[in-house]
Amino acid sequence: MIAFKLAYKNLLGAGLRTWLNVSVLSLAFVLIIFYNAMIDGWNRQGRNDTQNWEIAQGQYWHPEYDKYDVYTINDAHQALINPIQKHVDAGRMVPELLQQASIYPQGRMQSIILRGIPSEQSVLKLPTHLLKSDSEELIALIGKRMAKASKLKLNDTVLLRWRDKNGTFDAAEMRIGGIFNCDVAEIDNGQIYISYALMQNMMGLSNEATLLVDKLGMGEQFSDWDFKSPSFLLKELDELINSERISGMVMQLILLLIALLAIFDTQILAIFRRKKEIGTYIALGLTRQQVVRVFTIEGGMHSVLAALLGAVYGIPLFMWIDSVGINFGSADMGITIAERVYPYYSLQLVLITIVVVVVSSTIVSFIPARKIARMKPTDALKGKM
Amino acid sequence: MCKRFILIGVLLMAIIAVLKSQTANEIMQKIDDNMSSENRVVESSMTIHGRRNSRTITSVSYTVGTEKSFTEYLSPPREKGTKMLKLEDRLWTYYPANDRIVQISGHMLRQSVMGSDLSYEDMMDDRQLTEVYVAVVESKEEIDGRSIFVLKLTAKVDDAAYHSRKLWVDAEYYLPTKEELYAKSGQLLKRTQLSDFQKVDGRWYPMKMNFKDVLKQGEGTDWEIISIRFNEEIPDYLFSKAALKQ
Amino acid sequence: MIKFLIKGILRDKSRSLLPVIVVSLGVFLTVFMSGWMKGIFGDMIDMNANYTMGHVKVMTRAYAENEEQIPNDLALLDVDALTRQLSAEYPNVEWVRRIMFGGLLDVPDENGETRAQGPAAGRAVDLLSPDFKEAERLNIPKSLVQGRMPQQQGEVLISDEFARRFNVAIGDDISILGSTMYGSMVVPTFTVCGTLNFGMAMLDRGAIIMDITDAELAFDMQDAAGELLGYFKDGQYNDDEALLMRESFNAVYSDVNDEFSPQMVRLRDEATLKQYLEMADNMSAMMVMIFVIAMSIVLWNTGLLGGLRRYTEYGVRLALGEEKGHIFRTIIYEALMIGSIGSVLGSALGIGISYYLQENGIDFSAMMKNVTMMMPTVYRAKVTPDLFYIGFIPGLLAMTLGNALAGYAIYKRKTAQLFKELEV
Repeated sequence: MIAFKLAYKNLLGAGLRTWLNVSVLSLAFVLIIFYNAMIDGWNRQGRNDTQNWEIAQGQYWHPEYDKYDVYTINDAHQALINPIQKHVDAGRMVPELLQQASIYPQGRMQSIILRGIPSEQSVLKLPTHLLKSDSEELIALIGKRMAKASKLKLNDTVLLRWRDKNGTFDAAEMRIGGIFNCDVAEIDNGQIYISYALMQNMMGLSNEATLLVDKLGMGEQFSDWDFKSPSFLLKELDELINSERISGMVMQLILLLIALLAIFDTQILAIFRRKKEIGTYIALGLTRQQVVRVFTIEGGMHSVLAALLGAVYGIPLFMWIDSVGINFGSADMGITIAERVYPYYSLQLVLITIVVVVVSSTIVSFIPARKIARMKPTDALKGKM
Repeated sequence: MCKRFILIGVLLMAIIAVLKSQTANEIMQKIDDNMSSENRVVESSMTIHGRRNSRTITSVSYTVGTEKSFTEYLSPPREKGTKMLKLEDRLWTYYPANDRIVQISGHMLRQSVMGSDLSYEDMMDDRQLTEVYVAVVESKEEIDGRSIFVLKLTAKVDDAAYHSRKLWVDAEYYLPTKEELYAKSGQLLKRTQLSDFQKVDGRWYPMKMNFKDVLKQGEGTDWEIISIRFNEEIPDYLFSKAALKQ
Repeated sequence: MIKFLIKGILRDKSRSLLPVIVVSLGVFLTVFMSGWMKGIFGDMIDMNANYTMGHVKVMTRAYAENEEQIPNDLALLDVDALTRQLSAEYPNVEWVRRIMFGGLLDVPDENGETRAQGPAAGRAVDLLSPDFKEAERLNIPKSLVQGRMPQQQGEVLISDEFARRFNVAIGDDISILGSTMYGSMVVPTFTVCGTLNFGMAMLDRGAIIMDITDAELAFDMQDAAGELLGYFKDGQYNDDEALLMRESFNAVYSDVNDEFSPQMVRLRDEATLKQYLEMADNMSAMMVMIFVIAMSIVLWNTGLLGGLRRYTEYGVRLALGEEKGHIFRTIIYEALMIGSIGSVLGSALGIGISYYLQENGIDFSAMMKNVTMMMPTVYRAKVTPDLFYIGFIPGLLAMTLGNALAGYAIYKRKTAQLFKELEV
């Protein structure tokens, strides 16, 4: 206990130097926590957005359906069997029917995927209520990327051409009833949403779907429907985030190294300058190990003070960032990243960071302090090595 | 009394309707008689108007009935030797450059042929009008000094690519001068103009056609018959994959 | 006096060695960190530049309009002449042709008939010219799963996923059912010499990569290209220069009334990328600033300590009659020297390692097991001009400032007191 008290007093006694070291270390603290919180925030938002807008707790796919192969889409649909229909009626599942179709904005043909989705669904965040229509009018919902690519604006009309189940051409004017803003590029690029019921009519199908979005994720098995779990559907995002995390680690490590360098430097000089003090301690009856401990704790305590200092300016800073978010624009690489990322500070993250910083600074404090153990008390008292 | 008149009236109208539709179906039958045949050999050129330039491709095709067809491209050099075999609803193409036979199936059939306004499906759908549609005469008009029947055709089968068609039929030649293809909803999708009617082997045949996908910009695709012969001997071995490689 | 000081620094290791080590280490870390940051933030930009945008990109107006549909019929013509002109006008830019194409991948059986088909997303780049960096740019060598890079015409790489799904082995033939730029249907056949996995479903599905000369032949695109991409020869995207280039090029070559006239866009014209670039600029500037400040504090500390530990010496020197001002000046000179030596060493090391990592990258793939992502399993730093001076800010300035602060104490203390510290 005496070691702690002594260390604390010595540290505060050193004044400016201590605070310089502590402030550098606190920067490392704040930055490490901030960076990881950003990544966690991105991850959580990305997952949440994908789940809220696209996959909920998983999807059941028609066995032929392959998200990346448009050629599979037209034949991948089947009727909803009874247990599934029950889930749909209860609002636990949302069927989606996918078909290829074309639109002709400004006389140019553009291939799209037409997605029928029940307008009354509430599992996904898509504003499908906009698809409700009392008249015969064909109302479509598109995302902001699609709107940009096809140069369509709200309430514009565009000709849609599709083929029904028999291959007969059909075409109709379609009004853009809503443009949604969503970070999940995959449900936006080249996709047009219309009412599920209307699409069944258009295709001459009755209650057939390509995929089912599952609200609860109970993992129930149905024959002829393949369940795809969220972890399967989110694999790419997970990998991307993992790789960003690793690239961040290098940066954090360097920053931590700088801070540790400061402590190390301080320790070496402290021991050099305070030989008399060391001698005095030993003369007063402390064992060398105890003296080593005093110095180690003194060095290590920088990190404790740094944590406190970091908290003093870090917490308000984090709170501020949390209220405004960090603008990432919308870097569209087909990856899901929110326009505004809000960092997510987990207790685990803070604790791990504290442990890492405290342990590493204690270690760098200990290394120079070992020298003390080799000193002769008489020489030390005189200030000689 | 009143009732009887009404009954007679209804009956008369029904008879007229039947007669009228019969005439319409008869007209359609006459078009089919002109346009389709047991077999034919056609040498033709297709001019595709691109945004940048136009290209003309010549080919010769051998057709038996509506199911079998064999086409060989003659020019330009790039296309020469390329062959196409259609058996029922299957299509193969042969490329001499690397001796490959490629099956064109599924969605590729909906692609345009050599950048034209025609899809493979359009080319392959050789069924007679009477097989697919029922017709009514919508009106009789005088256009450019010729009397024209305007026929409205509506699909009677499920798998017609175009749910309805409108034909402007020349009353003398029983050939359409213009044809419009409609989607189920009534949206106009494609327009064909036929001209230069000539009598070949006792039947009238259009020697020039222009196909236009009206949803797209552009001038459409011109098709011109260089020569056409009906009822030729076409050996059966031509309609085999082996013949593609010869 | 400087000679004398240098001797002092060299002979008294406690005066020289430790401070120099600390300064150079600190400078090294700052420099390396900046380079690393630039590299990491540049990743996404480089991805965009390397795969689709180039640093600048020339297309016909009509092609640009419908770019996502890959309208090769609207491709640039007379590309050789255009490339020559561009190379002459902008000598610091490397110009490369790219042809993208869609269609169907068609796998033949032993009779040359279709065995399997799948959608194709093709990319033709210069793989065979020895001095082109295109393969590296697209990260092809590192994405190879089986086989090898194409070494002659007629050899192509296909997606590993496709190869497995349809049982295509190395050495097998594969055809592309596509069309020439004039609309003719063609089915060129190639030999598969390797399979690829970029790790992004977007890039991997139906991917086929071939040399540009093969695509020219196959799709009738001699002297034509969908896109002509320009890369600054130093590898760095320079926005100001790109802007100037775009303006001057478009003023001369681009004609609003001719939809086939060429048009240049720069990397930053991609609207979504623009935001990202701006954010990356801000973020890295912020991070580097934090770093410089942190490092300055550390080195200031070092300077301060270096001054403090020599109080005894100053006492002696004062006792010998040296003026306070003179002592202070020597302290500053010494700090400047140590700071310079440390900064030069640290910068050299930092730039050296950054350069090494720019060329080679650190492969973290071992840390990311089962990861199929192409992009950042290999991280790279980037050497930018500011790396050459950024280290001097903490190295020289902070070190001197720290020493000055320590030296200032001399004025505050009485000679007698300093002299007292002489006692042994």
